[in-house]
Amino acid sequence: MTEPHEASRQAYRITADTPVGFRLIGVKKKAAIQLMGSRLWGRFNPNHWDPVYAAQTGLKAPIQTGEMSSAYIAEMCVNYFGADFFRGARFACKYVASTYANEVITTHGVVIAKTPKADGYRFEVEVWAENQDGEKKSVGTVEVDVGTSRPTLALEPFKEVAP
Amino acid sequence: MSAEPRTDGLRPMTEVQISQTRDFVQSLEQESLPYWDMVEVGDVLSRELRITPELVILYADAVEDYNPWYEGWRMNIWHIPGESPFGPAIVPPMLVSHFVLSVQFDHTKPFAIGSIHTFHDSEILEPIRVGALVRIEAKAIDKFEKRGRRYVRHVVKVVDVETGRLCFRETRDILSR
Repeated sequence: MTEPHEASRQAYRITADTPVGFRLIGVKKKAAIQLMGSRLWGRFNPNHWDPVYAAQTGLKAPIQTGEMSSAYIAEMCVNYFGADFFRGARFACKYVASTYANEVITTHGVVIAKTPKADGYRFEVEVWAENQDGEKKSVGTVEVDVGTSRPTLALEPFKEVAP
Repeated sequence: MSAEPRTDGLRPMTEVQISQTRDFVQSLEQESLPYWDMVEVGDVLSRELRITPELVILYADAVEDYNPWYEGWRMNIWHIPGESPFGPAIVPPMLVSHFVLSVQFDHTKPFAIGSIHTFHDSEILEPIRVGALVRIEAKAIDKFEKRGRRYVRHVVKVVDVETGRLCFRETRDILSR
């Protein structure tokens, strides 16, 4: 199986040799009102996309759902941990401040611990998402096993389902 | 954003679109209880969700995540098996966490808008293949007040219905208005 974004993946990958203190390069996204107000995210709650309604509830602008920030942090983690992030990983996250429309959000991560586990390590990474002014919006930790031998897991491909 | 909030303050709209938007917002203001009052500790809600290739694409595009591991649908071809380290295409790691909202907010009752998701502690236990049927179960385990705010805490389990495997587990808090 070829890794996604193969060349990038080779350059930006946490391995068993990665030291504590290693800094992940995150992803950067704009809190676009069109996405915030999509049916998938906040369409049912106008606090997420309507400036008039948001003002009535005391917000200075529509706010992005926290889950969008979690998805951004998860994207960074998949970039660095690959398949390991999908098996036995933990991601705890607190939304400490609102993300407002048009802010530019960047995710960050720092390896803060690596504990021997089986023939590999359990990595602990401090993660956060902040805006263009360095204000933290989401903070948390991620734990992932790296370099540990595990049984191969092969999934069955999707089969068409009758409606 | 201008001092006086406008419906078209953040995106261009015609008069027709502004009128439609105000109608839609008005329609959401239905009779409902605050989330705090809708939930009792011990409540268990559960629903099944077929994670179709189209749903995965919808989610991935909405967070601008173009990882090819998630592609079980491609323009012109439509359904494809896809490729990932686990064989076929897989579901983005936090997708099921988002759809917990559709379970813990009882969809048979009027929706109480204005609640905010504030915290999650998630365990991504196993990859979920694109196309899987999962059962999402949310149990209310606590209601508490902190600094004058009211929170409801749930524990969540996501099981692949066809394999019986526990794929995802989560504790999450909702701030009720």
